[in-house]
Amino acid sequence: MPLKLLVQLSARNLSRHKRRNFMLLMAICVAVGGVTFMNSLIRGFQYDMQESAVANLTGHVKILAPGYLDDPSIAKSFKLAADWQPDIAAEELEGWAARIRIPAVIMSERETRGIQFVGVDPAQESISFLGDADYDGQSLRDASDNRVVIGRALAEQLETKVGRRLVIITQGADGLNREAGFRIAGVYDVEGTGLEKIFVFTGIKMLQQMVDAEVFTEVSIKLAGTPREFSVKVALAEFFTGLVVLDWQELEPQAAAMFLFADAAIFIWFLIMMGALIFGLVNTLITAVMERVRELGMLRAVGMRPGAVIVQVVLESTFMMALGVTIGIGMGVGLIFWAGDGIDLSEWAQGMEMAGMRSVLVPRLMIADLILVAGLSMVFGVLASLYPAWRAVKINPLEALRR
Amino acid sequence: MTEVVVRCSGVTRTYQDEAVPVYALRGVDFEVRRGEFVSLAGPSGSGKSTLLNVIGGLDRPNEGLIEVDGINLNDLSQSELSDMRLNKMGFVFQAYNLIPVLSALENVEFIMQLQGVGAAERSERARAALASLGISELEHRRPGELSGGQQQRAAIARAIVTNPVLLLADEPSANLDSHATEELLELLQRLNEERGVTIVTATHDPMVMSYAKRRINLRDGTIVEDAISAAALPAVR
Repeated sequence: MPLKLLVQLSARNLSRHKRRNFMLLMAICVAVGGVTFMNSLIRGFQYDMQESAVANLTGHVKILAPGYLDDPSIAKSFKLAADWQPDIAAEELEGWAARIRIPAVIMSERETRGIQFVGVDPAQESISFLGDADYDGQSLRDASDNRVVIGRALAEQLETKVGRRLVIITQGADGLNREAGFRIAGVYDVEGTGLEKIFVFTGIKMLQQMVDAEVFTEVSIKLAGTPREFSVKVALAEFFTGLVVLDWQELEPQAAAMFLFADAAIFIWFLIMMGALIFGLVNTLITAVMERVRELGMLRAVGMRPGAVIVQVVLESTFMMALGVTIGIGMGVGLIFWAGDGIDLSEWAQGMEMAGMRSVLVPRLMIADLILVAGLSMVFGVLASLYPAWRAVKINPLEALRR
Repeated sequence: MTEVVVRCSGVTRTYQDEAVPVYALRGVDFEVRRGEFVSLAGPSGSGKSTLLNVIGGLDRPNEGLIEVDGINLNDLSQSELSDMRLNKMGFVFQAYNLIPVLSALENVEFIMQLQGVGAAERSERARAALASLGISELEHRRPGELSGGQQQRAAIARAIVTNPVLLLADEPSANLDSHATEELLELLQRLNEERGVTIVTATHDPMVMSYAKRRINLRDGTIVEDAISAAALPAVR
């Protein structure tokens, strides 16, 4: 097959009907650019949601006592030996945090609320939202700090502020209620009032003293780089015999479902855009074939084989698509960089928080998505050309030459 | 190498028109020998173009035998017919049918690309063909930049560059003025006499007929006259 000739013919045929081909090229560019940018927003939404879920004291993997998820009380706790940390490659691990997290009641002079009371070692909490929070007042000093930090939204509900005292009641290891007074060291401010209303933190040694047991209710692990939850889970399950090891998808099933949906959304969005585009492409190619009936008839008459005619039409579509995809991806990537600081969606902040997202949506560029868009677009380009190519082959050279 | 380039025996071609068969050719018998310049003449609907198409393998007869260079075209598949046309025949069409996005040189070269001829040889032969037709200075122009006569010359260059056994020309003068027609015919005559190219042309143009050495008149799908023309008389003598 004279491939060089077919490439030459197909490439030059693009210069025919410049306006029509330019319009089609622009349609491909806008579709591919739009898909590329939209994919980056979907990825931004997806990973924002995942990071929020992971940072919400969950981590990528968590170790719990059996039954804790159904009854999250001090009764479902476990002890850790001094050398409790298993070997995980440093490059895979961002950090560990061992905590006590139990339900409690908090009281100010004016209001009473139900909360999650969390004993932490502040040095370990760089892996959770607590590490990034802004404070009015002070953060916790260390694991022995006997003060508390509360969220801004809770402080407003309790009508209290930094320096005031609060009373917290929770259940001890013996099943009896424990009550203690705490001074507010600081009021933390994080994105999303949900977290601020629920979590109250103190030093873990203080909380262990309060419940009267040197125990933990969870160990949270945040992984670095591209997390490999499954392999780490397996290693931890072998190490922490008798405990339950769960990943973030099991702990935050709603976020996990949304994460998977985002993967599907990328394909759905692509199919909608390219599906609409493909009709235009088929139409343009058929028009181009019908306009060249005499020429194609002549080529067949002088001895070009049907397969070569098919390749010529397919190549035309492929070249058009390749050009459109290249420019379109360039446009999409340009848009991603332009919106690199994120799109402010604070007007819809409440809805965004419900979806586990921050109020600024930052597009996320993934090379794999670009390859996917480019590859599938080319496949669509070839598929779109098959019918016009078939029409070109069906041209009877004799009838074509009579026109 | 056979001396008979084209052999038609009992060739019949019918078209179905509302269940009534219309005869375009009725049992045509004739032979064309190597080096002949034959004009198929006759009024519209006489069957001359159909006969040319059948000889060129673009159409198949309902009955009868068609041989070109000793090969029975009826036995060939569509792909084999394509190869036959590519390697043994040259076509000159009424409307030139040059590819508008290729230059004159590329239009002549592309047929050799289909044959798989190497780039250097292709270029050399295409330039020689254009030069022999007197348009080598126009080799980089595209068809839209050439006059009708120049386009027809480029089309002839494309047809002869492969050294075909048979050159088929369907109404080659239809879109040319009388001056360009005369130039074209002198060119065909030169190709026939100097290079021995066998030419069969379908025409109703008396000027074309006058240059052909043999004239076959058709009417209602049958040959009514097969005669040596005046152009060939000196050679006959």
